[in-house]
Amino acid sequence: MEVLANFAQGFIGLFQEGGKVFLNLAGGILPTLITLMTAVNAFIKFVGQERINNLAQNAGKYTLLRYTVMPVLAVFFLTNPMAYTFGRFLPEKYKPAFYDAAVSFVHPITGLFPHANPAELFVYMGIAQGIQQLGLPLGDLAVRYFLVGVIVIFIRGVVTERLTIRMMRQRELA
Amino acid sequence: MGYRAVKVERGAGGWGGPLVIKPEEGRDKIVSITGGGIDPVAERIAQLTGGVAVDGFKTSVPEKEICCVVIDCGGTARCGVYPKKRIPTINLTPVGQAGPLAQYITADIYVSGVKPENVTLAVGEEAERMIVRDVAPRVEKTASERPQNGGAKKQMGIIERIGRGMGGAVGKMYQAGRETIDQIVKNILPFMAFVAMLIGIILKSGIGNWIANVISPLAGTLPGLLLISVVCALPVLSPLLGPGAVIAQVVGVLVGVEIGKGNVPPQYALPALFAINPQVGCDFIPVGLSLGEAEPETVEIGVAAILISRLITGPIAVLIAYLFSFGLYS
Repeated sequence: MEVLANFAQGFIGLFQEGGKVFLNLAGGILPTLITLMTAVNAFIKFVGQERINNLAQNAGKYTLLRYTVMPVLAVFFLTNPMAYTFGRFLPEKYKPAFYDAAVSFVHPITGLFPHANPAELFVYMGIAQGIQQLGLPLGDLAVRYFLVGVIVIFIRGVVTERLTIRMMRQRELA
Repeated sequence: MGYRAVKVERGAGGWGGPLVIKPEEGRDKIVSITGGGIDPVAERIAQLTGGVAVDGFKTSVPEKEICCVVIDCGGTARCGVYPKKRIPTINLTPVGQAGPLAQYITADIYVSGVKPENVTLAVGEEAERMIVRDVAPRVEKTASERPQNGGAKKQMGIIERIGRGMGGAVGKMYQAGRETIDQIVKNILPFMAFVAMLIGIILKSGIGNWIANVISPLAGTLPGLLLISVVCALPVLSPLLGPGAVIAQVVGVLVGVEIGKGNVPPQYALPALFAINPQVGCDFIPVGLSLGEAEPETVEIGVAAILISRLITGPIAVLIAYLFSFGLYS
């Protein structure tokens, strides 16, 4: 009888702990998240799609901007997955590289702007909740994640662009 | 050759459907966008209908030739993209109306949790029930769409103009709030529930120590992180690890737990974020490119180029993040 009781206690304990974690997450993250996402969503509506399209089209002409400003704008304003539609502003040879840069930014952006990819927040938040448990501030991590993200998508864009162009040429020769 | 119609029903835990699929001349491709070849479900549909099964990762198919798509989306992007285009969508994963495009996922165009045995030949009048595809795109009315006052050329009074402006602004903000709450309920809370349960079990049961022994040396050292990034970026694995970023999120949670317990130093959080995620979007390349209106040939080359690029840039990303982690939390 006692064995059973102990077992039941241990079993329910797993979920009591889970419940505590859930309340922490919901209480600690959700209120800020809700107001922040509302503000950014409203901002996007005020700016309007038209202006962003023009900006993105102009940014697409230069290598440096094509894999930094353009994907960042796309992910911020159009969010995952509609961000990839900005590829249509580019010539074929740049499309894979742009997609690569944009999709690689859908997580680094979530530290500062969670509205851009709310369904996949826990890549960042999973790690961030560990930092929170230590009582450390998250701001520094979020900013650095964003900045390193921009550097990484630029490198990724350039590498993928080179590979794409080389493979296209090989195919033409074949 | 005559095409036959099949009925696709939802499987255990699935949602939507049943769909009646019947290829037509010029629109007979069953596109399998699942990674790792053509899925048995796509194979079976092709066999029964007389359509052609195509691996969406190897070859790209123009939209108008697609009869239906077979996907294995965990609930983020793909499961909404095709219903939005009104292409019949068969999801192998039992996912309902989820993700940012949830509003387009309806029972008349989408069915999920499908296994090969859920695909049967349609008989009698069932076969007649075709899916309406070329519907006019739904016009979304947001509160921001103010009626144009045409005709009446009379000067708007200043008060009236301010009033209208305010009304529009408030409407936009209200709509933003509604969208946010929708996202929270549909996407964030369910994942929180899952994560909370996972963390609870890890912390309270013996599994935690076992996981710590595996994760700490990998996530707490630079060589370990590099190893993770190379493995996740392998072109064979990366499309399989991608869907819904579920793997990256679960690993993120596991690493987070170890950071919280002090087994992994906090400054490793930054490189770890990149190490666990070189596969981001690798499952989604054909879809993402077609959203950018890429030609089929570009898609074919793009898949290969991106997968190879990740093998190079995955570890580079970890190194850069490692350099940028100096001075973080110290």
